[in-house]
Amino acid sequence: MSTPTIPDTCPRCDTHEVSLLTESPVPGRWSMYLCGVCFYSWRSTEPGYATDPATYPAAFKIDPVDIPKMPVVPSIPARRA
Amino acid sequence: MAYEDLREFLATLDKNAQLLRFSDPLSPEPHLGAAARAVSNLTDRGPALLFDNLDGYERGRVVLNVVGSWPNHALMLGLDKDTPVKEQFFEFARRWDAFPVEVGRREDAPWREHTVEGDDIDLFHLLPLFRLNRYDAGTYIDKAPVISRDPDDWDNFDAQNVGIYRIQVKGKARLGIQPLPTHDIGLHLRKAEERGENLPVAIAVGNEPVITTVAGMPLMYDQSEYEMAGAIQGSPYRIAKAPLTGMDVPWGAEAVLEGEIVAYSREVEGPFGEFTGYYSGGRRQPVITIHRVSYRTDPIFEHLYLGRPWTEMDYTLALNTSVPLYQQLKKDFPEVVAVNAMYTQGLLGIISVRPRYGGFAKAVGVRAMTTPHGLGYCKVIIVVDETVDPFNLAQVMWSLSVKFHPAHDLVVLPDLSILPLDPSSEPAGITHKVVLDATTPIAPEQRGHFSQEVDAPAETEAWENRIKQLLK
Repeated sequence: MSTPTIPDTCPRCDTHEVSLLTESPVPGRWSMYLCGVCFYSWRSTEPGYATDPATYPAAFKIDPVDIPKMPVVPSIPARRA
Repeated sequence: MAYEDLREFLATLDKNAQLLRFSDPLSPEPHLGAAARAVSNLTDRGPALLFDNLDGYERGRVVLNVVGSWPNHALMLGLDKDTPVKEQFFEFARRWDAFPVEVGRREDAPWREHTVEGDDIDLFHLLPLFRLNRYDAGTYIDKAPVISRDPDDWDNFDAQNVGIYRIQVKGKARLGIQPLPTHDIGLHLRKAEERGENLPVAIAVGNEPVITTVAGMPLMYDQSEYEMAGAIQGSPYRIAKAPLTGMDVPWGAEAVLEGEIVAYSREVEGPFGEFTGYYSGGRRQPVITIHRVSYRTDPIFEHLYLGRPWTEMDYTLALNTSVPLYQQLKKDFPEVVAVNAMYTQGLLGIISVRPRYGGFAKAVGVRAMTTPHGLGYCKVIIVVDETVDPFNLAQVMWSLSVKFHPAHDLVVLPDLSILPLDPSSEPAGITHKVVLDATTPIAPEQRGHFSQEVDAPAETEAWENRIKQLLK
């Protein structure tokens, strides 16, 4: 079986740190990919709305610059002395 | 009636014509999420949905909507599938009073059959994971009890927590979790991080329905979910020791994932389509590393669709939200007859009450907002007379339409706490709350024209029974 072609761009944050997450237990049916920046994941067989950076809706896009500003839940407590 | 495991409950659903199987080849997206959304759209008496021919899987199985209707909820309680909701409420409340029921321990759990560890784990091969809603951040596990212990009180069985949290699958053995500070697991994580330690967890996927119902209950910190599950099912709840973490996990689970929440880890999680009908925003949340997986042969992935109500989540949380609120209110006000807090987890609740004097119903409504659950919910409370069934919306709407007077019966309380997921809260977590008093005014509050209510003709009840029999 041939190695799947890993997409170049994350549909959600448009960065290029995409890796192969896993492949289908029955070989060759699908691959799943993971973005190393925003942790979005998708399956190669999903409809375009989940896989295509060009049509992924603006309201759900993530700008990597905003990630450090996201709320931390739960907050990290101080270590006990 | 106690079910041994998910498979036994599915067999009961099948016997009662409450299970549909789909064996035609399907791709996981968009079909699985769409089917679960569809069944909730169509009926409140719908079946569970079992899929056994999913693209890319040799033997993968997914079951959805297991408790996603009133008949399935009744069967969970071992009742006739046609049991009315109000009767299910009172039966649930009656069993609650039997808490605590001691657990049963057995170490021959079926999930001990297979084990995989470390780099050999691939959760996507173990379970047919899939995206539920179109813009979820990825695949999730959202109906699996997560078991953790108090790091400062490790051997305290009662402080061991069994709760359900949304879990994003971020790798073959890597997960993101949402342990809110108000959750018991949030307290466990806080203590672990104060100690500079990871927090061991076990995640039990695919269970008989009582433990998943109880895992969503707002219990006190030191009340054992397993001892409450025993009360609700009417016999000791069966548990077994997870081999790596030592957590007590449901004996009948399909798979047990063991690992740890990594101390101080926070990374992007979500958005995820939530029970409010809106996506939650993205947040930086903790990460779990899975080290060991135990599972039955051909495990069934039990999953839950959620989104705009009603969905399975509304059925699973309906009575386990209403009953604690009822019990807590009844302690202070024995005049409370029943509580229906099953709208969006109790963001809206309806209380029926026997008012003692004018203004009494309003006081009961306000009290609901200061119960532990009410602090994060109960944004809208409707109070009705004892003669009105709070589970019958036609009767509730009748009360509101004829008994409620906007100048006298509306109580608005400004800037109270609410769960931040409420999309109307501003800032997130703060909202006004309102009591709508739809009870009949009584002395000293005498107003309106309520003295000549139309009562039912004589023999109506006998005719109800006669017609009911003929319709069977």
